[in-house]
Amino acid sequence: MEYILRNGVVYDPTNKVNGECMDILIKNGKIVEDVSSKAEVIDVKGKLVMPGGVDSHSHIAGPKLSVGRLYRPEDIRAGIKPKSENAVEGFEAGFSLPTCPTTGYRYTRMGYTTVTEAAVPPLEAKHTHEEINSIPNLDIPTLTLFGNNWFMLKYVKDNNLDDLTVFISKWLKLAKGYGIKIVNPCGSEAWGWGKNVTGLDDPEEHWNVTGREVIRSLCMVNEKLGLPHSIHVHTNDLGNPGNYETTLETYDCVKDIKKNKHVDRDQVIHMTHQQFHAYKGTSWRDVTSGAPELIDYINKSKHMTFDVGQLTFDETTTMTADAPNEFDLYKLTGLKWANKDIEVETASGLIPEIYSKRAPVSAFQWAIGLEFFMGIDDPWKMVLTTDSPNAGPFIRYPKIISWLMSNSKLMDMATNEVHPWALNRTSLGCYDKEYTWYDIAIITRGAPAKILGLTDRGHLGVGAKADISVYDINVDEFDPTRKSNAKVVEDKLLSSKLTIKDGEILHKDGSITKLVNSSHVWSNVKGLEEKEDALIKRIKPEFNKYYTIKYENYGVPDHYIEPETRIDVDCEGL
Amino acid sequence: MDQMNVIINSGTSIIQAFYEKKGSTLKDEYRQATAVAFMDKEDMNKLGISNRDKIRVSTKWGSVVVYADISHDGPHKGMIFMPKGPWTNIVISPETYCSNIPTFKGIEATIEKTDEEVQLVADLMRSTYKKYVSDTENLESIGQKPVYKRLDNDA
Amino acid sequence: MHEPITDYDKVVRNCSCSYCGNNCDDITYLIKDNNIVGVRHACRLGASKIINDNDQRLLNPMVRNSEGILEETSWDYALELTAQLLHDSIRPVLYGWGETSVEAIKKGCQIAQATGSVIDNQSTICHGATIQAFQKVGHPVTTLGEVKNRADVIIYIGTNPMDDHPRHLTRYTTFPEGFFRPNGRDDRTLITIDPKYTNTAKVSDEWIQFNPNEDYSLINALRVILSGGELNTNEIAGVDKDTLYKLVETMKNTENGVIFFGLGLTQTLTKQRSVDILIQLVEDLNRYSKWSMLPMRGFFNVNGFNIAMTSETGYPYGVDFARGYPRYMIGETTTIDLLNRREPDFFLAVAADPGIQFPGYSLKHLASIPTVQIDTHWGPYTELSDIVLPSTRVGVETAGTGYRMDSIPIYMKKVIDKPENCHSDEWILTQLYNRIINLKEAG
Repeated sequence: MEYILRNGVVYDPTNKVNGECMDILIKNGKIVEDVSSKAEVIDVKGKLVMPGGVDSHSHIAGPKLSVGRLYRPEDIRAGIKPKSENAVEGFEAGFSLPTCPTTGYRYTRMGYTTVTEAAVPPLEAKHTHEEINSIPNLDIPTLTLFGNNWFMLKYVKDNNLDDLTVFISKWLKLAKGYGIKIVNPCGSEAWGWGKNVTGLDDPEEHWNVTGREVIRSLCMVNEKLGLPHSIHVHTNDLGNPGNYETTLETYDCVKDIKKNKHVDRDQVIHMTHQQFHAYKGTSWRDVTSGAPELIDYINKSKHMTFDVGQLTFDETTTMTADAPNEFDLYKLTGLKWANKDIEVETASGLIPEIYSKRAPVSAFQWAIGLEFFMGIDDPWKMVLTTDSPNAGPFIRYPKIISWLMSNSKLMDMATNEVHPWALNRTSLGCYDKEYTWYDIAIITRGAPAKILGLTDRGHLGVGAKADISVYDINVDEFDPTRKSNAKVVEDKLLSSKLTIKDGEILHKDGSITKLVNSSHVWSNVKGLEEKEDALIKRIKPEFNKYYTIKYENYGVPDHYIEPETRIDVDCEGL
Repeated sequence: MDQMNVIINSGTSIIQAFYEKKGSTLKDEYRQATAVAFMDKEDMNKLGISNRDKIRVSTKWGSVVVYADISHDGPHKGMIFMPKGPWTNIVISPETYCSNIPTFKGIEATIEKTDEEVQLVADLMRSTYKKYVSDTENLESIGQKPVYKRLDNDA
Repeated sequence: MHEPITDYDKVVRNCSCSYCGNNCDDITYLIKDNNIVGVRHACRLGASKIINDNDQRLLNPMVRNSEGILEETSWDYALELTAQLLHDSIRPVLYGWGETSVEAIKKGCQIAQATGSVIDNQSTICHGATIQAFQKVGHPVTTLGEVKNRADVIIYIGTNPMDDHPRHLTRYTTFPEGFFRPNGRDDRTLITIDPKYTNTAKVSDEWIQFNPNEDYSLINALRVILSGGELNTNEIAGVDKDTLYKLVETMKNTENGVIFFGLGLTQTLTKQRSVDILIQLVEDLNRYSKWSMLPMRGFFNVNGFNIAMTSETGYPYGVDFARGYPRYMIGETTTIDLLNRREPDFFLAVAADPGIQFPGYSLKHLASIPTVQIDTHWGPYTELSDIVLPSTRVGVETAGTGYRMDSIPIYMKKVIDKPENCHSDEWILTQLYNRIINLKEAG
């Protein structure tokens, strides 16, 4: 199919297109310079046109979701919507824990076309990929959990980066993973004994390895391999007052590591859900925001990027491989606690969370997320996320955008709606910044694509994937800075005028028009195959001794990854 | 003593599961393994029964004849263990108390010695549920093999 | 004992057992002329299922004739009849699924949506109560390898794995050497808490016998002691006070402990409440040391059904599509309750035998409604079935996904060819689905 998207107002920051009225030409799933006379013209005159949305960090598929849904039927009920007559899509179910099909429908309506599943234990990767097969309409890269893996810990302990490099290369193939995820390095291993580590330099008792060593080693390996994305780090001490110092140290601990020269991204470390890592003080009594210090560091640095993990005021579900943190939350809230330790690899936990405007801590966390949005000079270092569903479900992105675009809306909330801690304990009140559509396009499209290293998307240049979203907003006539327009922004962004993926119209004027299978995006490192075989031969006895499934049954067979987007990475050797 | 009040606990036994999984449920081997009440030794003495004697187990929900056998998990006086299966199903309680799960354990029952036969599965299903027969008196045993009509059975 | 098997022409390693929730994936099949003549590493239960009895194998579709006798027929006729019956019914129940693949289960879910059926699995008679407790209290679980590598105290309560999950102790928990337990069995304390002196109790370091139906009081007493309370009686649930205090002391001083529990807890009168309080005990214990728990799931994919259903519908079992969207109300949309209320007007069992699993009172309803069986073997339920559709064995004749009791997914291989006129559950359900859609479109 060929299309001409005519006369839209286009925001394509990657190509420095800032609200220009222009045509976008689509052919064979790509954006092209010319189309034939057969091309169908779609008139989007004056409407807001952006690349398809890219989410760099969301929890949408795999064991955590299954456990969440299984033990929270109340959340499933909260999101029930019967199938409409003649609809292409089926019913919806789940609010913070949508069913797989529901996840696809909701992202499609919002104009998102690529969503990263942020935490996959290799042992259960088949499950994640199986769930992806039930999520329609997205490209889904998965990040593989390595931050507490025993083989990794052993190589780090022995300072054996060569084997670690080969191991990671092989394990991404086995898990069909896209990149390296690190969660509370060494802390989740300590949780095997009901313990945790504090800070980057507190070694896990048995392995005698620290979070700093893990992060640095995996960062070096990542750059040696030249993976498209950098290491993706949820550092130690999440959620604890005083943790901003650990966060700063994490930023700083890899700044000397050289980026691989073939990659497109700028960073060597991507720090995730920074809102949860920006607390100053010694307890929840005297806590204040540590965001200003973090923002200051980020503004002055060139080697890192981050996503926000913005809190929304919802009853949601937290889920993380940072299991000791979930137990701390259980002790704090008493809500029903789920935990799951996964042999040789990681732990994980869940707990429902009720973020209330009247609760001091919720208001405080909400304001800290916004401080990041307000304080960062260069939006290319930042991605809009809620760490969905941890700080709020992804369907709140449009709401967050409405806050970012209208300072009067934001300050009205901060002053009149939420607990005073939002202004008393943070610097949010100092800002009067308002995001433009161009800025929004950066933090939801251009930046996440660049940070992920997915150069074929997040922009509308010739040759890019034809992943496009159009919203029913007449850009020249509509003033998003007006408080009274905040709800309009949210509603319009929640349901696109057009969502196009790979040149196919998936959503149009409020209705899903087509369901396609999501693609499994993974990194295939080339050049180390012989070394991988040799490594497997060496470690197989240990593997079969400490895992409870056979190595032969461990990897994700092709059965689960149809269709796939295999990203070949040429590694120059060790 | 002719009769005795007991509590039934039902559940999986390794021998019953063996024949069930093997797929030989119509056969005598499955009946021998499954149509059984495992009893405390003292209880057996009181009732005057020995291994593989037949007893009738009756509850509010139904009545069935099974073999008595000595329990190796004893002592558990006043309790009989019955492997899950078509025989036990007749006497256990369907009550879920709104929790979806019937009551497989802790059911009050009366047991007594009997000379009646322990039925094979096909006969038991026929005489209990009467789905395809109206009169179950004087029917011949279906036996231990599947009974069905072959497509190519012209004769 | 059996003679060693020497007469085989092919060896296939690392096959997956399709018996219990252990899903052992280290099984070797010995094959001769497309038949499995021997298995290695499997327990006797697994072996009995893999080398099955062929006398009762269902080989052709069958439909009852006017005399009430099953008569072989064509797939086309049997499928069309099934589709028509299902399409015409108003309260259909699609039950079973514990012994088939997730791929087939997902197809079944599509049929349930298309027909407004209730779709439910064996959780409804087994660990459904456990799932309810998870929903109410919490879900602190672990994988079996964590137990192997770390656990120094292992407790089995209301379960007898030596009989039900024979390799649980030997392959996964107690006996094998683990990373932090290099001496295997010698590095661990094994405690069985059960009214009966089970085979598991027999190999344990300690057997704590308690009165049937008093599990709630027993676990409650442990919580009281743990929280520093005093017991003002010398005996709880038939267990003397000193034993309880000693047990709590052991649990508090564990490095990594795990409690495995079975239907002994969920099938007694306190049902899900016994698991409620066990979860609370585990939560309490985590303030002192590291503790986890895990239900001993029975069929090899009973857990996979729960997982696949949550992916597709949000709910784990007992999912009712009567209104077009999923509903889940324990006691209302669950199979036994539906049967006891005499509500269903159509019943399909896939890879399950209700004749073995359901109380007689519930089964009686199946004598008055259309019933269909999709399975590999003639069983008690066949005697109540109007239509029989012969299927294939997952992990033997058909590949597919199964989920272990600890939710680790396993891709089960196809090893030998299926009997000629049998088809996989997935194929049969796809055919049914297509025919139902055609019927719907035809109005």
